[in-house]
Amino acid sequence: MTIANKLNYRQPLHRGVLDPNRIRATQAGMWAWLWQRISALAILVFLVLHLTLTYRPLLQFCLLFTVTFHAVLGLRVILIDFGLVHVRYQKLLLAGLGLLGAVMLAIVWFGIY
Amino acid sequence: MAETKGGKKTFKVFRYDPAKGGEGHFDTFDLEIEDYYATTILDVLFRIQREHDQSLSFRYACRVAMCGSCGMVINGKEGLACKTVVADLKTPEITLRPLNHFPIVKDLTVDMEPFFKKYEEAMPYFDPAEEASEPAIVRPDTWERKAIDMATDCIACGCCVSSCTMAFWHKDYLGPAALNRSMTLLADSRDGLHDERLATAMESCYNCRLEFNCTEVCPKEISPTRAIKYIHRMAISQGPGLAQRLSPAPEPVALPAPEPLTPEMSRRRFLGRSAVSLGVVAGAALVGLVSVSALSAAFKKPECKWVSLGPLEKLTAAPGEVLTIYADYSLEDGFYKRQEHKPVLVEMDREKNKVTAFNSRCTHLGCTVHWDQQKKLFLCACHGGTFFPDGTVKSGPPPRPLDRYETKVSGGQLYVLEA
Ligand code: SF4
Ligand code: SF4
Ligand code: FES
Ligand code: FES
Repeated sequence: MTIANKLNYRQPLHRGVLDPNRIRATQAGMWAWLWQRISALAILVFLVLHLTLTYRPLLQFCLLFTVTFHAVLGLRVILIDFGLVHVRYQKLLLAGLGLLGAVMLAIVWFGIY
Repeated sequence: MAETKGGKKTFKVFRYDPAKGGEGHFDTFDLEIEDYYATTILDVLFRIQREHDQSLSFRYACRVAMCGSCGMVINGKEGLACKTVVADLKTPEITLRPLNHFPIVKDLTVDMEPFFKKYEEAMPYFDPAEEASEPAIVRPDTWERKAIDMATDCIACGCCVSSCTMAFWHKDYLGPAALNRSMTLLADSRDGLHDERLATAMESCYNCRLEFNCTEVCPKEISPTRAIKYIHRMAISQGPGLAQRLSPAPEPVALPAPEPLTPEMSRRRFLGRSAVSLGVVAGAALVGLVSVSALSAAFKKPECKWVSLGPLEKLTAAPGEVLTIYADYSLEDGFYKRQEHKPVLVEMDREKNKVTAFNSRCTHLGCTVHWDQQKKLFLCACHGGTFFPDGTVKSGPPPRPLDRYETKVSGGQLYVLEA
C-alpha cells in the first residue's frame, strides 16, 4: 500500500485555476502560442465572410490583418524550430517580426491595394 | 547596497487538509516585514508557521536554491521559495500555492512522484558505450560541452513542468525537465544508450508548443525549450532508420492470413480514408478556385475604348488619298498593360463629309496593310493580299474585306473605337 492510498490527496491544481495572477503569469511565448490559434480561427471566419460579402474594404483589411498576424507568429515558430534564430531571442523575434508584419501590411494596404 | 525598506504585506496561502478533504482554500496572513530585500518567501512561511499556524505544511531542505524542494507558485509564477525575496513581488497581496499538475499532499506540499516517474522514463543516467578505466576528460571549451552548458544544472524542482500547459494536456508528455535531462545525455558522444534515449525523447518532444513558460520560470535559468528544439533537430537528422537500428529486421516469414478487421481498425481506416478524400476534394476545390480567380482576368475580353486620332481639321488629304495615322494608346490585356502604337488607315471624303477608318490588320493572318498611293490600293506586306480603296478584297488570300472602325467626332477630334 503506497502512501497515496492512505492519504486523501487532492487532485492536482491546473495552471491558472484558483489563481488571481493568471493573466500576469502568462508569458510572451504563451501569448504568442495562444494568439496563433485564435488568429487561425479568425482567418477562417474572415475568409468565409470575404468570399460571401465581396469588396468590403473593412472585411478585407481584417482578413489581411489576421493573416499577417498569423504569419508573423508562424514565422517565429519556423525560425526557432529550424534553429535559425537562437531561442534566447524569442521575445525580440516577436517584436521584430511584428514590426516587419506591420510594415508589410502597410505596404500591401496603402501601396498595392 | 539595496534600498532597505519594509512594511506590511498580505499573504494568501493555499490550504488543503487531507484529513478534511474538500477543494482547498486560501488563508490570509498579514505580516509586518522588516526588510523586503532580506526576506525570502521561505522566511515568510517559517514566520507564518511560528506565529500564526503551526499546521502549515511546505517543503524545503537546502535553503540556498540547490535542492529544488521548495518549488511553488508564487504570485502566479513558479519559483523557489528560498530564492524569491519579497521585494521581487510588487503586488500588495502575495499568493502562494502549490505547483500545478501534481497531486497535493497538504497545503503547499505536492507529491512529486509523477515528476520523477517521467524523469526515470527519460533514462536520466549515463551508460558509457565503452568501458574506460580513466575518467573521461571533457574540456569546457569544446562544442559538445557548450551545447549542454546550463542544461546540466537542473535541480529537479518541477517548476517547469508546473508552468507547462502541454504537460497537463498530454498526459504522456515527459515534460520539459525530463527532456532537458535527456538532451544533456543525447548530446554526449560517449552515451551508450543513445538510440533508445532518442526514441523515447522523440515520442514526447513534439508535444512542445513553444510556449517558453518553462524557460521563463526555471530558477536555474535553464531553457528546456532550447533542449527540446535540440532534440527536434536531432530527430530530423538521426530519426530516420531509428526503428531499424533499435530492432534489426527479422527473418522474412511467410505472410500470415489477413486478420479480420476489428471495429477499431475499420473505424481508423474509415477515418483515414475520409480524411484523405476530404483533403483531396478540398485541395482540388482550392486549386480550382485559385486558378479560376487568377486566370479570369486573362480570359476577359479587353474593353473597347475610344482612341483619338487628333484634331479633324489637321487631317487633310487629297481626294482619293488615304491617310496613315498612328494611334497611341494603352490597353489592359489580362494582367498586363500594353502600349499600342499602330497605324490606322483613314479615308476622308470631304464632299460627302464622310470619314472611314480601316483597321490596318490584314484579315488573312494579320500582317500590316499599307496604302499605296500609286496603285490606289491597300497592299498587304506578305502573301500578296490586295484591297480596293473601299476595303474589299481585290486579290490574294484574305477571306473578307478590311475591318472598319466605328468612328465619331467630338470636340473637333476624330475618334475610333479600338479594342
Ligand atoms: S529545468 Fe529548471 S525548472 Fe525544470 S526542474 Fe530543472 S531546475 Fe527546475
Ligand atoms: S516550451 Fe514546451 S516544454 Fe516548455 S512550457 Fe512550453 S510547451 Fe512546455
Ligand atoms: S530549499 Fe532547496 S531549493 Fe529552496
Ligand atoms: S496576312 Fe495579308 S495576305 Fe496573308
